[in-house]
Amino acid sequence: MSPTTLPASLTRTSLRRLAHSRPTTCLLRTAAHRSITTSTTTPTRPSPTLQQPLRRATRQHQTRPLHYPAHPSSPSDAPFSPPELALLRAAYAHVPQHGFSAESLALGARDIGLLDISTNLLPNGDFDLIRYHLFTQREALVEKSRGLQGSVRDRVFELTWLRLLGNREVVGRWQEALAIMAQPSYVPASLSALHELVDDIWYLAGDVSVDPSWYTKRASLSAIYVSAELFMTDDRSAGFEETKAFLRRRFDEVGELSSVLGAVREWVSFSGSSAINVLRSKGVPTENISSLSEKREVDGLG
Amino acid sequence: MASRSPALRRALQTASRTQSCRSFTSTSATLTQPADYPTRHQPPTRDPSRPTHFGFETVTESEKQQRVASVFTSVAESYDRMNDLMSFGWHRVWKDHFVRTLNPGFSPLSSSPSGPQHILDIAGGTGDIAFRMLHQAHVLNHNPDVRVTVSDINPSMLAVGKQRSQELPATQQAALSWLEANAEDLNSVRPLHSDPNGPTSSIPDASVDLYTVAFGIRNFSNIPAALREAHRVLKPGGIFACLEFSKADNYPLFNAVYKRWSFSAIPMIGQLVAGDRDSYQYLVESIERFPSQEDFRDMIVDAGFVVGGRGYENLTGGVAAIHRGMKPRN
Ligand SMILES: C[S@@+](CC[C@H](N)C(=O)[O-])C[C@H]1O[C@@H](n2cnc3c(N)ncnc32)[C@H](O)[C@@H]1O
Repeated sequence: MSPTTLPASLTRTSLRRLAHSRPTTCLLRTAAHRSITTSTTTPTRPSPTLQQPLRRATRQHQTRPLHYPAHPSSPSDAPFSPPELALLRAAYAHVPQHGFSAESLALGARDIGLLDISTNLLPNGDFDLIRYHLFTQREALVEKSRGLQGSVRDRVFELTWLRLLGNREVVGRWQEALAIMAQPSYVPASLSALHELVDDIWYLAGDVSVDPSWYTKRASLSAIYVSAELFMTDDRSAGFEETKAFLRRRFDEVGELSSVLGAVREWVSFSGSSAINVLRSKGVPTENISSLSEKREVDGLG
Repeated sequence: MASRSPALRRALQTASRTQSCRSFTSTSATLTQPADYPTRHQPPTRDPSRPTHFGFETVTESEKQQRVASVFTSVAESYDRMNDLMSFGWHRVWKDHFVRTLNPGFSPLSSSPSGPQHILDIAGGTGDIAFRMLHQAHVLNHNPDVRVTVSDINPSMLAVGKQRSQELPATQQAALSWLEANAEDLNSVRPLHSDPNGPTSSIPDASVDLYTVAFGIRNFSNIPAALREAHRVLKPGGIFACLEFSKADNYPLFNAVYKRWSFSAIPMIGQLVAGDRDSYQYLVESIERFPSQEDFRDMIVDAGFVVGGRGYENLTGGVAAIHRGMKPRN
């Protein structure tokens, strides 16, 4: 890398990813982009092969490059450098037995002819091993999303379930992993990984609507996912049936809740604006009222 | 502080008023000079008459080495106090963190031991890093099969370190060795207190697991040469790790305050504590001249190392930083 004079928002990793990106395997998505391209009410399901044109991100919105390489098992555009990936891949094989730990990392280092001390290549050791798991599972979901049937809701359910099954191999170690992720210095990165996953699930399920429910949908799926993941770490049932039933119940609850909320919000904004129109037609100055009603809508978004 | 005599307090006050202004303005004019380390665009050669910088002065390389040596001879004793002043006492926390994250001596429990681990602590001065390494490896990781070579260009620093090491448990003392070495040329080194005219030896290629340098590298006249030597002596898979004062540029206000403190107050206090203003002035300026975190990371990569993540970790808002790199296989 040459001496950097980069805007602070561009991390080295995101740059590396940008540098490696090819339009056919890379999709730049931003909230702004979505709101532009998805104003139609009928959701059309984007194909996972992602033939959508690469769009330029508007400046005020953060660009979030996301990669769906043809072979998810060889993530060449991963947020890790090739030497890091080699070490992580080798160490990951030891996770079922030794956890997301220094032990697994050192064993992995030895497997590929490195030294015990070589694990210092990784900036955050055990947490990097967890990030590797999150990253590879997130990528694998793209393949799994092909050919899903049913409504958006059904597909969101199915994708969430498939992602949970991605923890199967390491489920005995996942409580430890959650404890590491909850360490203060790792919380921001852990939360953004969760956010990215949930975002992917809605997207891969074909939900491209941008309306006030955008945030509620993501917030509720995050909550469901986190609780189901935790439930699964204690689930001894065959094929994790109980986790699946748990997940189903959570989905049903939220289904009722969010449709109620959605209906209320719609009613409020509709009746609000029609009330303003009535007042306007009677010549009443409405600046204050309309700014109030706008504020209410913004609050509803948050 | 409270127990200080009124006379000394008055002296401190006047000194800080007059000296601080002078040193700050006189040095800030030279802040824009080009950096003194050779970049990868001009392949470094060892030429004793080549101009380099001593703080903000231009001197020849050989002169710089002599002057650096004399700086550390004059401050060897009051050296800990100086570190405390320059880092507000943080350097102990940073060193602890540096050693704990490197975790020397860690070895998988579920597998057979992999033979001795050799740590080379360059510019190891008074042994601060080496002693922590031994504690982490021998005591915390229960691995006595770790030895540390402390090396420094300056025998008086090493002598202070060796003296201090007498207080360690015997097994740890036995795991230490002391070596006079210029980091830029590890092919001619000699054991501490050996005959200065006797033959020199060489640190062999691929013989070191972990190379550390803490608060030393900014003093080297030829940093790329030192990095190349680090690469040579490390085994494939070996780790280069550097702890150094750095740039807190992300926090402009903090940085400005820190700079003002270091440029004005430290040399002045140095004069009062150690009676040697110039030495401290040099130390402060050498910090200012040291490359940014990103530039130094790039120099490490240019020397043949691979780095993980962005290649460095900022400590205390970037007042110091840890850089790590691995020598890849092949
Ligand atoms: C500030 S001290 C650091 C000592 C110790 N590592 C610590 O962290 O406490 C810097 C040391 O670098 C040494 N030094 C300067 N130039 C050197 C060189 N070219 N090769 C080896 N050591 C050098 C000095 O003699 C001095 O002991």
